[in-house]
Amino acid sequence: MDLSNDLAAQLNAGAILPEGLVIVTLMAVLVIDLIVGRKASSWLPYVAIAGLFATVAALVLQWDNPNPLAFFDSFNSDDLSVIFRGIIALSTVITILMSIRYIEQSGTSLAEFMAIMLTATLGAMFLSGANDLVMIFVSLETLSISSYLMTGYTKRDPRSNEAALKYLLIGAASSAIFLYGVSLLYGLSGGETNLAQIAAQLAQGDSDQALGLAIALVFSIAGIAFKISAVPFHQWTPDVYEGSPTPVVAFLSVGSKAAGFALALRMLLTAFESVTVEWHFIFTALAILSMILGNVVALAQTSMKRMLAYSSIAQAGFVMLGMIAGTEAGYASMVFYLLIYLFMNLGAFTCVILFSLRTGTDQISDYAGLYQKDALLTLALSICLLSLGGIPPMAGFFGKIYLFWAGWQAGLYGLVLLGLVTSVISIYYYIRVVKMMVVKEPQEMSDAVQNYPPIRWNLTGMRPLQVGIVFSLITTSLAGILSNPLLTLANNSITQTDLFHVANAAAVETVAQVAEDADPVAQ
Amino acid sequence: MNLAEDVQLISFGLLGVLMIAAALGVVLLDQIVYSAFLLGGVFLCMSGLYVLLNADFVAAAQILVYVGAVNVLILFAIMLVNKQETFKPVGNRWLRQGATALVCVGLFALLSTMVLATPWVVDTTVVLTSTVVQIGKHFFSDYLLPFELASVLLLMAMVGAIILARRDFIPEKMATDTQDALTLPERPRELTGTVSDR
Repeated sequence: MDLSNDLAAQLNAGAILPEGLVIVTLMAVLVIDLIVGRKASSWLPYVAIAGLFATVAALVLQWDNPNPLAFFDSFNSDDLSVIFRGIIALSTVITILMSIRYIEQSGTSLAEFMAIMLTATLGAMFLSGANDLVMIFVSLETLSISSYLMTGYTKRDPRSNEAALKYLLIGAASSAIFLYGVSLLYGLSGGETNLAQIAAQLAQGDSDQALGLAIALVFSIAGIAFKISAVPFHQWTPDVYEGSPTPVVAFLSVGSKAAGFALALRMLLTAFESVTVEWHFIFTALAILSMILGNVVALAQTSMKRMLAYSSIAQAGFVMLGMIAGTEAGYASMVFYLLIYLFMNLGAFTCVILFSLRTGTDQISDYAGLYQKDALLTLALSICLLSLGGIPPMAGFFGKIYLFWAGWQAGLYGLVLLGLVTSVISIYYYIRVVKMMVVKEPQEMSDAVQNYPPIRWNLTGMRPLQVGIVFSLITTSLAGILSNPLLTLANNSITQTDLFHVANAAAVETVAQVAEDADPVAQ
Repeated sequence: MNLAEDVQLISFGLLGVLMIAAALGVVLLDQIVYSAFLLGGVFLCMSGLYVLLNADFVAAAQILVYVGAVNVLILFAIMLVNKQETFKPVGNRWLRQGATALVCVGLFALLSTMVLATPWVVDTTVVLTSTVVQIGKHFFSDYLLPFELASVLLLMAMVGAIILARRDFIPEKMATDTQDALTLPERPRELTGTVSDR
């Protein structure tokens, strides 16, 4: 007993308590399904949800941990990672709520689906706090491999197979490129895998390393940009979003993307600190391309899921704006936007799932006249889409305002203007769906809506779906007006993280140096 | 230059030539079975290079995993697909091949410039203990967390492989509480039929 206590203290094992709870839940789901069988499928999802809520509670206790480094510095549980892990765990809760009915109707087994989903969550959560190259890669692969499995989960559907194969091939290629970049980093730092030590070694390296470092940077960013689906690493997104089961798409667009941003922040701000100008430049290019291409191509989509795919590409572009700003306000606006994006995007996907469960279609034109048949669904989908577009009273508006304000403060005038213009474009395609649902006359109703089945919430798995819709509806409409707690949370997560202090100190130093250098010239 | 260094140099040259020749064969030969066997040769040569680098564990793992598992799997896949199909030759084939060659040569030039230009920090310590012991020590000290996470990853890969490979029996009473309009794209064709017939 004494020994194990010593060991736990030495490793600081308490820092991974939330992940431990996810593993326990995952094992419980697998073993209960093995022992009890299909009879358990009615209450098993609630076990998973309870486990995830316990995880969130453990994360709350981790807030402001005075001693965040665990397992010999390979895991960092600072406030930044806590908030990202919270976003990921919450996204899985909502995804499980919406997947119960969906998986039931697709005729596949729910327990394994939840087990894979929990593994993906585990990988994403470890990725948000990974502080070591080996840890980063193993958790990245845990997330990726479970994502491939979930994408191909409905294996009788050829579109799902195609999506899984595409995702697997492109994902494996991008993993290989990422690994090559990371191995260069290992070589350049003289055999270090810890991010902080790599940064220290690179800082005292000579200028001959510049080419190697640049290649390492580009290759690592290629791997990260695949995860956050930034243009030009986005080709997989529309096909995978269209083909794979919708709950999986919801998780990929929120949980997986949040993990990608957490990885980007940690890796670029520590290991690549010496090339900050270069990575700002690369990310500026990625953000411009993502905002333009995502929003413009979304205009032409006829399938709801494809439209949401392009919209998620565009949203990633907006979030990158906060990263390029490079100030504390910029990072805080990023976290704030991701928090709001969690609710509005998952809300939109829940509505899409409900509609396709009742009518069996995802086409935008089939939504015509839905208002007459299902008011709750119309209201929730309209609110979530308007929020994604950034219409004032909703949460998304405040998130975007904060992002653009932070960008403007940091002097990124061009990018902010581009963001504003593309937001206006995005409002057009979001409103188009809302108009389709609300404005149409009864005789213009689509066939799918005309044959709309009577609304029955008492079917198995419908209740959780309803809870998910109402919850995201309320949070999306109220989080804008009552955004202060979320804003404080996002700001605190940034100001209380050492990562940004180091980065800021370095930035101030550079600025001071530049000023010093400039002074003699002025005189 | 002593005998040991000579042997090392010669075996490096031999392995390198063999590997490049085998790799070219993988890409250029028309018979896919030859390509698969030559790929095994490439993997073997690569494990030889690992031995020269004092990485005996990685060399053994390379043979076990790549030659023993991956390559055999590829051969199985080739044997199971016995459909003969003649493909129509693609127009402007030389253009595509030329572009690919250009990109590959450019990438190779860039990476080799980088390798030659960078002053690498070379580790000169002579390791006398077995690398397996060292890897084990790392696994249970500073790389403990990734090592344990890899076990979860492997568990899930196994579960996922079983899910993808197993045959699903659709329960008879699936459609009892579903509504009539429920035809998800994911539903099996037979099942969709029974629902609409009902």
